[in-house]
Amino acid sequence: MSTETDDTLFTDVDLVWEHRKNRIFLAIIFAASLFGVVALALLLLDVASDFYVGLTEYNISLVDFFTRDGSRREELSGFRGAIVASIMLMIVTAILSFFVGVGSAIYLEEYAPDNHITRLIEANLANLAGVPSIVYGLLALAAFVNGIGMGPILLAGAIALGLLVMPIIIVSSQEALRAVPDGVRNGSYATGATEWQTIRRVVLPAAMPGIMTGTILGLARAIGETAPLIMVGALFVNRMPYGPLDRFSAMPTQIYNWAAEPSQHFIHLAAVGIVVLLAFVFAMNAAAIYVRNKYETEV
Amino acid sequence: MTDNTSGQTGFGGVSRRNFLAVGAVAGVAAIAGCSASGDGELSGTIDASGSNTVAPITSWAGEQFSNEYPDVLVDVAPEGTGAGFQEFCRANSDVQSASRQITDDEVDLCGENDVEYGFIEVGLDGLAVVKNAENDWVEEITLEELQQVWEFESDVETWSDIRSEWPDEEIELHARDSASGTFDYFTREINGEMGNVRDDYSATSQTNEIMGAVADNEHGFGWGGLGYLRDIEDDQPIEAVPVESDQDGDFYLPTQENIEEGNYSPLARPLFAFVNIASLEDRTDLIGSFARFYTNGQHEFARDEGFYATTDAAQQENHDKIDDWLDQVGASPDDLTVQRA
Repeated sequence: MSTETDDTLFTDVDLVWEHRKNRIFLAIIFAASLFGVVALALLLLDVASDFYVGLTEYNISLVDFFTRDGSRREELSGFRGAIVASIMLMIVTAILSFFVGVGSAIYLEEYAPDNHITRLIEANLANLAGVPSIVYGLLALAAFVNGIGMGPILLAGAIALGLLVMPIIIVSSQEALRAVPDGVRNGSYATGATEWQTIRRVVLPAAMPGIMTGTILGLARAIGETAPLIMVGALFVNRMPYGPLDRFSAMPTQIYNWAAEPSQHFIHLAAVGIVVLLAFVFAMNAAAIYVRNKYETEV
Repeated sequence: MTDNTSGQTGFGGVSRRNFLAVGAVAGVAAIAGCSASGDGELSGTIDASGSNTVAPITSWAGEQFSNEYPDVLVDVAPEGTGAGFQEFCRANSDVQSASRQITDDEVDLCGENDVEYGFIEVGLDGLAVVKNAENDWVEEITLEELQQVWEFESDVETWSDIRSEWPDEEIELHARDSASGTFDYFTREINGEMGNVRDDYSATSQTNEIMGAVADNEHGFGWGGLGYLRDIEDDQPIEAVPVESDQDGDFYLPTQENIEEGNYSPLARPLFAFVNIASLEDRTDLIGSFARFYTNGQHEFARDEGFYATTDAAQQENHDKIDDWLDQVGASPDDLTVQRA
């Protein structure tokens, strides 16, 4: 008796197969979402193991690493010049790109009429954000390094990076400005404030956390950029720059340089350099998250 | 480190390129300031272009020079000998490292741009002829046999085509492609004409591929930069073949002794540094002192970077050349901060 009931109840084999397909599909998309995480974990693991081998087998001293400049001699090589160059690059890049970027965003969001010139500017910005970074390097090489005879100095590198991060800053600033409710603006206008007063006293302070987050994330991208700096010619200088007019090699170019050396010692110096560079990138991303979380609620 | 200078400002970034460019006023002022500040303390930037092979030597010399004179920066860009001459002959660099002599086309280019130059010989690089370690029949090879194997339309297919007592097995040939200075050198020295080579060998731009292929195959045969052989010969079955010397007709392995004494010839090639005479005229003490410093330490710099030293006679000849250049620009060797050692 039971066999008959079972038969009638469980004849629908397709349903089981459908459930199984459901689970298979779930497994596949879960694996797909893990893929990036696993790749990142493997990468970090590889860097960490090279870092460890560098410190133990090749006796790379972290103190020397942070207090010496690069050298042709692997045992004398350090990262100080590159770290100083990268920090200086970030400062100059921020100065060059922040005001122009935020200014453009304010114009486009607060003032610009909705006509085809504005749309042309916005379309261009979207395209600029997608331009490969090496193109900015070529531009800086042609226009500044060779064009006006600046030479391969830090300022030229900062200009290339500034152009690179500017679209990022503009787009994130626009989003931050757009997120400020119109009621806040109208309230300000109702008290008799002019457009500029409203923007300066009301809109910008409210949008600043978003703008800062975008700027820091843009700079975090810029600090790891290698291609534009190679184009500018900042590759084989080992010494610490003392100002924006000095020649330089930043962290990513110094790593590139070391990784291209045949000697294993240099390759492990590159691994230690990568850990330092990653620490900078993570710290900048953490700062961006901190700024966003701390000030976001006060709007 | 020794390069902790507090006085260094933007002047370190001023190059010869600025000199030539439109907005050169600041550059001129900076460089004039540098050379006027004289009094034994050198400062400024030296732009060095050139060979990927020789750049490490120039770079190491430059670093030592900077350690001695902290306000000097020697910026070495190793773009390759050919690409480097394109810069050098357009007066975009002060010093040019070269793994071969300047070609006629490059001489013309320098001429068009009124670039006068001189060169010094800074070291030697060995070219190794390599075979697999299992290969016990090739104990030596003559220059004529090498040409027979490698020349254009060569009919050598098997070992027995070279010497009848060698096995009747096909040779697997591996060597550099025509983009390399090593190729230029080998074809000119062995086949008599740059670019003259048979067209049915495995050509690569990577010398380590040549070495790897020969180590993998008993019948492999090829040539390439000696440094690459040194990197793998201890771990892999590959070895150098003694080559006939054009000096005394004996056969020599590419050892340090044989290369530095001049017996491993013609497959030891000289490495050069070219100097722009106009740069020397502009910044006599800086460029002249660097040339002098480079020459004083050239044996050490070359050996430190895995190459071989020139003869002492070649070193003295370099010093004499520097004296001639100084004479040419109206300066005296005694004016330089760095003196002949």
